[in-house]
Parts: sequence; structure tokens; C-alpha cells
Amino acid sequence: MRALVIDDSRTMRRIVSGALENLGFETIHAEHGRAALDHLEAGEQVDLACIDWNMPVMDGLTFVTEVRANPAWRAITLMMVTTESEHGQIVRALAAGAHEYLIKPFTPDAIRDKLDLLGLVALEEPA
Amino acid sequence: MTATTVDHDQVHAIAQEVFAAMVDGDLGLLLPWDGELPELSDAVVAWVDLLGEWSGRAVLVTGHGTAEDLARALLGLADDDEVSREDLEDAFGEIANVVGGNLKSLLPNHGTLGLPQVGSAVPPLAGAVRVQHLPLSWRGRLLVVDVWFAAPGTLTTPGGNR
Repeated sequence: MRALVIDDSRTMRRIVSGALENLGFETIHAEHGRAALDHLEAGEQVDLACIDWNMPVMDGLTFVTEVRANPAWRAITLMMVTTESEHGQIVRALAAGAHEYLIKPFTPDAIRDKLDLLGLVALEEPA
Repeated sequence: MTATTVDHDQVHAIAQEVFAAMVDGDLGLLLPWDGELPELSDAVVAWVDLLGEWSGRAVLVTGHGTAEDLARALLGLADDDEVSREDLEDAFGEIANVVGGNLKSLLPNHGTLGLPQVGSAVPPLAGAVRVQHLPLSWRGRLLVVDVWFAAPGTLTTPGGNR
């Protein structure tokens, strides 16, 4: 599976990508929503997008809205990964079309749990 | 809205949680500083503005070597790997961003979060009052978390250097 990691922080892109790659994902990166849309418009196929909220040029909420407005990208699972933790913000993101919401700071286990909820990774069977 | 919305223990708990999740994997490695505060001659400062009815600024200050080690920890680099200025600023700025974002969630009117900025000194904020000052020890080295309260309207535009 392929994931698009969208964050203006290179540090956070590396952290999120590392966690995803440990779960078997191939990752590509974008530093804001506009650059992420450029990837998709260029024909990049991804199963998952992990999206920061506060970014220059185009924020994560606008990106989610743009993706959901295009039927060709309907199959992409959208997960916000952000410090925006207020209930109202979570509701806004989900209403715009995000499937899941992960609040920073997070652990690799938290990413794994969210992806498991989304059916994108199988948890290991207990020994 | 008052300047005492965020209390000392809440700020410490947020900083501990951020370091545990992003840096150390252990809650117990960011402790209150014990003893006299050393002077930071090579300070690195990261800050993020909280914008809204409760406006303010979350500021992290540490020494250059400590900021380099934080960047190594976040980026998975070896102890002797070079850390570029860009990586240092990005990593330390992201820590400030996550601390600031979690502080914002405590405020009665959440408002918006600016983009993180990093420099050698924080620019003055006219009329602002420091409402929390936490000198902390990360692996025995000084890291200060400050929270400033600014008069409503003082901070109006999300800034940021990335």
C-alpha cells in the first residue's frame, strides 16, 4: 500500500513515514496541501493520506475538502494527524470527509491502532 | 478571559507527554530543574503563537547542543551525526508546535495556532505578561518552557518560518 504524508515539518514527515514504513507502507511526501494535490493530479496512486492541519499555502482541511470533491479520489482514506485536538475541530475535519483523526503527539502504536480501525493494517495475532 | 487560564502542572504535563511520545518514549525524562539556572550563551528559541480571544505565545528555550540532540532523537540520527541548521530548526520548531497546539486545547476559546518559528531570541511582544515559566531538565540539560499572555488583538496573523 502507498501513503501520502502531508506536513510542513520535515521532522514530522519523517516520523509519520517511519511509522508507516514499519507497517509495510511505501510513502511519498508533500509539504502542504497544494503540493499533495499536485501529486494526485499527476496520477500518483495512494491508499492513504496522513494530513497535518496547519500548513502554509493550503491547509489540511482545505486539502480534505478538495479530495472529497473529486470522485476519482474517493477510494483514498484520509487521516488527519495534527495538534488540533478540540472537539469542534475534529467534527469539522470529519464533516469535511476525513475518516480518522490522530492527535499529536502520538506513538507508532497509536498510528497502528488507527490504521487497524480503518482496515489498513492487520494487528499481529497474540502469541 | 484571564491570564491564568493555563496552570503550571498542565504545562508540565503537556511538555512531558510531548517528549515522551516524540523524543524519549518515557514520561519520566523531563523533570523540574533542580538548582540554580545556568546561563544559555548559545540559546535556541522556538515559539508558536496562540491566536484568538486568549492570545499568547508558547516558547521553548534550550542550548544549541541540546537542540541538536533533540533533533537527532526526533530524526533517528546517531550521536555523532551532523545536524544541519535546517533540521535543527525544523525539529525544535515542531516540538514547540506540538506543545503550543496542546496548550491551545486548554484555552476556553481555542482560536487558531500560528506556524512555529525558531531563532536565537524571541521577539518582544508588546504588553505581554509571562504567565508560566518552567525550567526543566531534559537528560540533565536545561530546557525552559514559557507561556505568555498577550492582550486580545495583539497577535492577529499566523506567522511562521516554514
